[in-house]
Amino acid sequence: MRMAILGIGICCGCGNGVEALRSALQTGRVAPQEVCLERNGEADRFPTYRSSVEELSEFIPKRALRRIDHFSRMTLLGACLALKDADLLEADRSRTGVVIATGYGTLKTTFDFLDSYLDFGYACSSPTHFSNSVHNAAAAHVSMQFKATAPSLTVTQFEMSVASALLTAQLWLAEGRVDRVLFGAIDEYCEVLRYCRQQFFTDGEQGPIQPFSFDQQSAVVGEGAVFLVLTKAQEYAPYGYIDSVRLGNHLVNAVELPQDDMLIVGADGHKECGRYYAQLLKGREATAYAPLFGSFPTAAGFDLAVAALSLADRTRYPNPAVNGCANDAAEAAGRQFSDEKISCLKFGPGGDYGLIRLSL
Amino acid sequence: MKQGVAITGLGCLSGAGMNLAESMQSLFRNQRNPQPPQRFSTDHPVSYPVLELRDGLELPLDMCETIHARTSQLALAATLEALDDACWDVASLRGKRVGVCIGTTVGCALNCDDFYRAYKTDGDPGLATIERYLRSNPAALIARQLQLDGPNQTVVNACSSGTDAIGIAAAWLRAGVCDIAIAGGADELARVTYAGFSSLMITDTEPCKPFDLHRKGLNLGEGAGMLILESEAVRDGKKARGYLLGYGSACDAYHLTAPHPDGAGLKQALREAFAAAQVTPEQIAFVNAHGTGTPDNDRVESRVLHEVLPGVPFVSTKGYTGHTLGAAGAIEAVFTLACLQRGELPANIGFSTPDPELPATPLRENSRVEGDVALSESLAFGGNNAVLILAKGDG
Repeated sequence: MRMAILGIGICCGCGNGVEALRSALQTGRVAPQEVCLERNGEADRFPTYRSSVEELSEFIPKRALRRIDHFSRMTLLGACLALKDADLLEADRSRTGVVIATGYGTLKTTFDFLDSYLDFGYACSSPTHFSNSVHNAAAAHVSMQFKATAPSLTVTQFEMSVASALLTAQLWLAEGRVDRVLFGAIDEYCEVLRYCRQQFFTDGEQGPIQPFSFDQQSAVVGEGAVFLVLTKAQEYAPYGYIDSVRLGNHLVNAVELPQDDMLIVGADGHKECGRYYAQLLKGREATAYAPLFGSFPTAAGFDLAVAALSLADRTRYPNPAVNGCANDAAEAAGRQFSDEKISCLKFGPGGDYGLIRLSL
Repeated sequence: MKQGVAITGLGCLSGAGMNLAESMQSLFRNQRNPQPPQRFSTDHPVSYPVLELRDGLELPLDMCETIHARTSQLALAATLEALDDACWDVASLRGKRVGVCIGTTVGCALNCDDFYRAYKTDGDPGLATIERYLRSNPAALIARQLQLDGPNQTVVNACSSGTDAIGIAAAWLRAGVCDIAIAGGADELARVTYAGFSSLMITDTEPCKPFDLHRKGLNLGEGAGMLILESEAVRDGKKARGYLLGYGSACDAYHLTAPHPDGAGLKQALREAFAAAQVTPEQIAFVNAHGTGTPDNDRVESRVLHEVLPGVPFVSTKGYTGHTLGAAGAIEAVFTLACLQRGELPANIGFSTPDPELPATPLRENSRVEGDVALSESLAFGGNNAVLILAKGDG
């Protein structure tokens, strides 16, 4: 069943809102921020793509946000921007489902909770941090904020979270369980993640992300929230339609790419996943936009947003520039189109894949 | 009443037993064994009883705990039991479209407190724990371990995760996304959840007493419950253990941890499940309630049951298993089907004194089941409510 995309909300390193994404796609450049961490007496400087949630107070009073963590604030901001973009901020949401995909969940709050008992003893464990560290806390904040009393779902499955969660959103709409779905993909940066990535990827993390250098580790950590407002296929679909969602494992049953589709790949500088793209693409034209928002499991949601915006603008945006030079695969990019289909492909390190197809 | 999705295999393990047969024996002997946690310790001044597995897990060597998290091991153990019950050997699943949908809480959380303790003290901890976490996403791991090709999804809807996972898997079958689904929930006992629930002051220092006047909270537990769902084309006449007739879910949109005082979301989930199943409340033989033993949950649930399903017998099995969080809904769905087949319900262990605030009270003794359709419900953090309506199988 096709799903119409009514609105997009973006909160990420390239800025907030659809215009920020469009601008990043047009310029092909987003500079990561440098972060400096002191650890073991040494300064660790590295690039990140971080999100600003200041704008959230335009939608929700600051007082109401007091106990809400950064992860849930990104979530709420993405949701607000998507509803605003769809002109549904004031609509009745009693039949709006909430579906959230996250690779890791609320990392910072999880560690804040551990801090509470490691620093002060188990009797001082923080109930606020605990209840906000539960993976579906962000979805709950969205449901409470928007009085969305229909079903709510959170899916956590690393790189496959987006495709997997989207499959359920599609079935909810197909079965008439909901009239609309507020679909979000969120992940956050935290210092412990930096430590882990540094240990895992000793030869990377300094950027720039080179998505098509498949045998090179060039990922740069990012964070953000992206939301799509989805409904059953209807005449009005300002950002086109999601036609199909497919999940599988390339190692068990090789993925078959639609022949003529424009292809957006979730290659984001992770060598372990890069090998699957290398096997599959073999010179086929593709674009990858990770250099605009960074590397994180649910960045596949941002690829979806790029695909939807490309359909709306009838423009194939070029591959972001890397070190001032476009990638080879970008030669044909940047052109206008009239009737294209776009496939978004994301691989996980175990050969799991999600393939999402969109069209006008 | 419609036919629903066929359930051909069941598997479960928890503090009540290492498999379904052992669990049912504990339930009908009204036995339970809550005790202080043996697998971890804390400096908490109060010791809260928990329900841990009685024995060690017997799994293939490549599933040992140094490689994969305990939650995934529990999920695999229950999956293998359910597949065996459904007469599937793993090799014969290959080449078929098999989906995996598993609910969890701990199984997806980066609750690596030993690693984090070392990290905080400016050490350079190794990443073995993190690597294990990355390898152990329950649905992905089961799919990978059994070399399955199909959709897989790990649902993290807190304590309704297992129920939701089963409902979602049934939708996959109806939509033709896969032909067979392994669906359920799994969760291990962890120091983090032990500390978290005690911080919320909703754990009992004694064996829990669901729906009782003197209830003080829950006992945590661990385990997994798995169901094998099959399309009619694949089942091809094979006997079903039961049928999933309907699933409903709704969000209270009220509070992060407390249920809506009128049970608004639970009532909506019930309405949706009844409509999907095409059954009426009068057709329900019994309810396997969420019944955690917390004052708020049991009050709301009792009121909703009294209003929507007046006079229908109900029981909480959490007295036998503890609250197994993301596994709870799945374990309880397995128990619901097993009780329908057996034609008998266990007593609500821990209940002795009715609470005047609770208009409906659970079964005090093992009782006969009158009817072929039953309901299992889950309430969760985040205001999630989920309901399954299940029917007795073919014998």
